[in-house]
Amino acid sequence: MRRPLEIKAEEASVRSVVSLTSALESLSSMQIAKTKNKVLISNQFFDEVWNIYKQIRVDVLFNFGRAPEEKPINKELLILITAKAGLSGDIDQRLIRKFLERYDEAKHDVLVIGYHGALKLKQAHISYDYYFDLPEQDYINVDPLMDIIRKYARSRIFYQNYISLGQQTIEDVDLSEVVSSKGRVADLDTVGDSLVSEKTYIFEPSSFAVAAYLENSILRLTISQFIYDSRLAQVASRFRAMSAAKERSVETAGTLHVEYNRAKRNQVDTRLKESLAGLKKIRAEGAEV
Amino acid sequence: MADEAPIPVAEPDESAKTGGKPSMFVKVYAPFQVYFEGDAYSVSAVNDVGPFDILPKHRNFLCMLAPCQLVVQPVTGNAKKIKIHRALMHVKADKVVVFMDV
Repeated sequence: MRRPLEIKAEEASVRSVVSLTSALESLSSMQIAKTKNKVLISNQFFDEVWNIYKQIRVDVLFNFGRAPEEKPINKELLILITAKAGLSGDIDQRLIRKFLERYDEAKHDVLVIGYHGALKLKQAHISYDYYFDLPEQDYINVDPLMDIIRKYARSRIFYQNYISLGQQTIEDVDLSEVVSSKGRVADLDTVGDSLVSEKTYIFEPSSFAVAAYLENSILRLTISQFIYDSRLAQVASRFRAMSAAKERSVETAGTLHVEYNRAKRNQVDTRLKESLAGLKKIRAEGAEV
Repeated sequence: MADEAPIPVAEPDESAKTGGKPSMFVKVYAPFQVYFEGDAYSVSAVNDVGPFDILPKHRNFLCMLAPCQLVVQPVTGNAKKIKIHRALMHVKADKVVVFMDV
């Protein structure tokens, strides 16, 4: 059996893990509330812009805002949105696993957002072509990302989706598909009076220029929305991971405390036995004299 | 059968609160911030064609704004100036919405 002092020292270190995970759990909980609120506010904005886009776009050929003469790279760009650091549970690992199911070095180029994802790719011996830090601010400038996306014929985004506090899923979607599928709702029969056309609206500078601008805006908003969703899923995953870690460390601390008491009692018992044995020996010696 | 002239239905007087001066609803906002929301007499901005004003009863209008200072003349209070970097303006049925940072 281990010495009580050794166990006590281990218990103390586990107790500090409990405090740490408890603090991180509270922090994640606050971040979830804050991020969720922001996602809800931004969704209202996105929905209104989407609504105009749906009414104005009647063709479904989304081309990432490229000019017709521009020739794209005939590869698929895989975009990974990951956390900026560890301590976010297994969510990044799951995303990398899903990415690996699709990845083919000859057919794909890789763009990774978030340091943790870049690190995981390095560990998997996969080199990425582009890297960006995960934005932390409310306003996300996705223009550098869009410049890269525009170069490619196809782009697929892997992101983390928040379902609930206990459930976050990994999704992958084709960017042009997600934009045009929402645009397809703009069926002339369904838009009715709200149709935004040259007959019903004044466009400045021109209807084509406004449509092209909106196409870019929609792509920009779609990417931003995926980043916001991923950030929310990451904090939720961190909360889950911290709750589980806290639970485990509380359990371990309890077990160690019982073990410490047992070891201490054992030590006392041993000393008592030794003392009694010594006393017996002294008495026996005294009787002999 | 003689055609009967439709009886005009009196619409609620929206302009009563603005002393007879027509107004419109204006909202200027970005994904995380509302810069202005309320009734206003006019909105002035600049697009690629040049400077322009939106007044109540304007036709449906959709345009990209050039970097400029958007000026909203609210029904109450002083004119509000908002710096625009990139925005989209949508005008329909006396409702002006400016989507910033799109």
